[in-house]
Amino acid sequence: MSAAVSKKTVPTVGASTFVYLVIAALIASVPWFTGNVFYFHVGIMVCLAAMATSGLAVIAWVGQLSLAHAAFVGLGAYTSVLLVTRLGLPFVVGLPAGALVAGAVAYLIGKPLLRLRGVYFVLITFALNELFRLVMLEFPGVSGGSSGIAGVPKIELFGLVLAEQSQVYVFTLACLVAVTALLYLIRNGQLGRRFAAVEENPALAESSGTPTARTQNLAFVIGSSIAGFTGAIMAHYIGFISPETFGFQLSVSYVIILVTGGRLALWGPLVGAIFLTPLPEFLRGALEYQHIIYGVILIAVLRFLPQGLAGLSGQLTRLKGDRS
Amino acid sequence: MSFLIAQSIINGVILGTLYLMMAIGFTLAFGVMRIVNFAHGEFYMIGAFLTLIGVKWLGLPFPAALVVTVVMAILLGGLVERFVFRPFRADELSGMIASLGLAMILQHMALIIFGPDPQSFPSLVSGVYRLGDLIVPKSRALTLGAGVVILLAFYGFLMHTRMGRALRALVQDQEVASIYGVRLEIMYPLGLGLGVALAAVAGGLMAPLFGVSPFIGGTPLLKAFIVVILGGLGSIPGAALAAILLGLIESLTSSFVSASAADIVTFALVVVVLLVRPSGLMGRAEA
Amino acid sequence: MRLNKLLVATTALALLAGAANAEETLKIGALVTLSGAGSSWGQGMLRAAELAAEDVNKDGGLKVGDTSYKVQVIPYDDSYKANEAVTAANRLVFEDKVKYIIGTVGSAPILAIQPITEENKVITMTLGFTAEALSAEKPYTFRPNPTTAEVAQPQIDWIVANKGIKTVGALFPKDETGQAIAKDVGQAYANAGAELSAVEFFERDRVDFIPLLTRIVAQGVDAIELDGNSPVTAGQIVQQARDIGFEGVIIRTGGPATQDIVNVAGKEATEGMFVHSAYDPGVETAAAYEKRYTETYKDQMNGFSPFFYDGTKMLFKAMQDAGTVEDTDAVKTALENLKDYDGVLGTLNWTGAERYGIAHQLDSPFYIARVEDGSEVIVAKCTSQGCE
Repeated sequence: MSAAVSKKTVPTVGASTFVYLVIAALIASVPWFTGNVFYFHVGIMVCLAAMATSGLAVIAWVGQLSLAHAAFVGLGAYTSVLLVTRLGLPFVVGLPAGALVAGAVAYLIGKPLLRLRGVYFVLITFALNELFRLVMLEFPGVSGGSSGIAGVPKIELFGLVLAEQSQVYVFTLACLVAVTALLYLIRNGQLGRRFAAVEENPALAESSGTPTARTQNLAFVIGSSIAGFTGAIMAHYIGFISPETFGFQLSVSYVIILVTGGRLALWGPLVGAIFLTPLPEFLRGALEYQHIIYGVILIAVLRFLPQGLAGLSGQLTRLKGDRS
Repeated sequence: MSFLIAQSIINGVILGTLYLMMAIGFTLAFGVMRIVNFAHGEFYMIGAFLTLIGVKWLGLPFPAALVVTVVMAILLGGLVERFVFRPFRADELSGMIASLGLAMILQHMALIIFGPDPQSFPSLVSGVYRLGDLIVPKSRALTLGAGVVILLAFYGFLMHTRMGRALRALVQDQEVASIYGVRLEIMYPLGLGLGVALAAVAGGLMAPLFGVSPFIGGTPLLKAFIVVILGGLGSIPGAALAAILLGLIESLTSSFVSASAADIVTFALVVVVLLVRPSGLMGRAEA
Repeated sequence: MRLNKLLVATTALALLAGAANAEETLKIGALVTLSGAGSSWGQGMLRAAELAAEDVNKDGGLKVGDTSYKVQVIPYDDSYKANEAVTAANRLVFEDKVKYIIGTVGSAPILAIQPITEENKVITMTLGFTAEALSAEKPYTFRPNPTTAEVAQPQIDWIVANKGIKTVGALFPKDETGQAIAKDVGQAYANAGAELSAVEFFERDRVDFIPLLTRIVAQGVDAIELDGNSPVTAGQIVQQARDIGFEGVIIRTGGPATQDIVNVAGKEATEGMFVHSAYDPGVETAAAYEKRYTETYKDQMNGFSPFFYDGTKMLFKAMQDAGTVEDTDAVKTALENLKDYDGVLGTLNWTGAERYGIAHQLDSPFYIARVEDGSEVIVAKCTSQGCE
């Protein structure tokens, strides 16, 4: 997966970045233009999808594709929900705890897991996601079993209950900005260069003094923590969780968002989530055909935009360059 | 107790053979094209529907309906290779995701055409064979027999024909194979076509046992997945061993512990095998 | 280019927002499962709502007070998933501004959307079998179909007494519905003086039951109970149980599914099976509904469909009684007050005050049927009090 995308240009902080930020801000404010609660809900779902996929992107930066991402989202969700409902702790404790537990589990299983590469890593993470779901079903005392846990309390920040969708939207938007900023810092820092070196050629990176295993594990821990963080918010917003929520299909949807958006681009998760999360809403009218159209769009994007939507502008520039 | 053990082993072997039929096309497609094909289960579903159409609507005898299914499936596989997978030859990951899109398209097309309700499939035989206390349902014995014949025919094709050798060469090493004159533009569609045909014929054979609806593809896909991981991606002998093993594990654990334990044991085994021997029980080590 | 795309998207979003203002139209949401497992039920519910809407539209619309409303059904798919259901519910409630939702099919989806629907006083009619769906804190949720909790005891009493059954084996899917039903059915058999002696739970998408059945049959049970399983799964269990030579009684206590079971298992394997039946084809209105359904959609009728046809019609009646479509509090009260409603299935009433703390559970007559040559033959007529 490395060959096609190895030459990436570090974005120069200048006019183009500014334009991107303005566009992002415009899109983020769409729900306020409409003032409709439903748009706030879609906005929240976009933010959550973008955040979770950002975690997946960090793992992808070291050249691994995880199909267990939903399990880590689930770990965060269950951790926070159990702390809040069973121990009566506030959400502001549950949220970081969710991220922490997901990260800790990633750390523990990361070392043996990350010895596998390519398709093998994809397969083992697939198996792990199933295992997570099955084990959660096996302990209904903890997970609520297949009936799940209903009536999860709403997000509450220091006494302020976020009862309205618009409030939750502001919160998730802030979280998304923070996560994206974190990704930006990682990518443009020393760590980002290490990630890129490992992604491009692990053997070379190892011989030139980069500890490959530790670097990959670090990326796995960071990515999974972000997943856990997202899961906690998701659980308290939706208000219902069950092991089925965090099944294989959720993992797949994150992978689809990542690849559609651009698997190695900083903006990939965001662009992918903005494009794909509301897409079913546009297709809802075509009730029977919506999944078919979705599948066709997915294949078309893969076929014609191998670097994802985020690579679109680059591709166009190159096209122009070729012509002149 | 010993009766139950013997019966469970018989059940397990039958189950394993069924799984093998699903897994072998999957592993062939991976071996030839390096594509983890998530649409494999949908081809199983399509095969079941094609056979159903042949038997119920066209009034063909069951074996003839199966032959028609195989021919249609090879064509379908060739088309899918040409129009969906070809652009992703160099890219395992994009191919895998494209197959997810394809699965979505196929399943919902079937849903539109046939509706969500299960369709009745006329049963071919009924009753059981008895060996003392042991019981083998005739319907399963028939499926088992047909499955073994198809697998043997496929094995013969792979070992003793020019095309079969070319396919095997391709699985071994793509570059070397193409240097030695294996024509990729024929072999790729053929490889996927055969993989699809095996899935479809499995669907057709199992339709009388498990019923037909647009949603029957999920379980065979999952089983194929597990078998292929355990056996080693692209390894046909590995798939054979793993399929029988999986059938036995499921049958014995279900009979003596519980059904949910069987699933957990299976996935735990998958994780352990991948950690200890990533290339599977009989797979080649990945370069 | 990218900017253009985004602009297009933004404009499209804005346009969508402004589109909802047709006059004299009453919008009803149908939030049901239309893709993946569960879509048989979803389709049956959606079509029930559509047929009910067709009825009133044919007569020039639903007359509530002085106004006639043309009823429009808005169908959304939840794929049987909680998250998807929440998104669809948000859209129905806040974008389409519906006050009434037919749905959901699943238990998880209804529990997930209730915080939205209850808070916004949206009346929902769910199929979800979970006991938690109905409660005094959820006054806007109704269930127009009986669940196992309602039908199990009378039906099981009758079968145990008439067939002399002592021990029963059963297979249940390992999900919320399966576990709830296992409990209800087990209790009912115990009350009837028999014992649910061999119980197995399995992962939902399992298709091979021979190992489990081998174990159950080896324990020498008199009967196998199919309740709680999807029609396809139930059919597979019947077929495979007969395949391994099980000769005892096969019973399906709840959930109309006979036609699908026969489709999967074949006529031979299902011969003599005792099933729960929601309607007596001898009742003219029920037979007429089934005929209309199959003629309109060229498809077999799902067994739950008539309940939702009646449920939707009751909802319309309640709106007329309340004289409003806007004030769902009034409509809810009028709906609760409907007594001896004459539906296609017979005389219908609300029950459930004892069990759920609120009488939002439909009580309808039901039947025990014996399957003969692939068709149901009614052998006993039941109410929640007993069968005869």
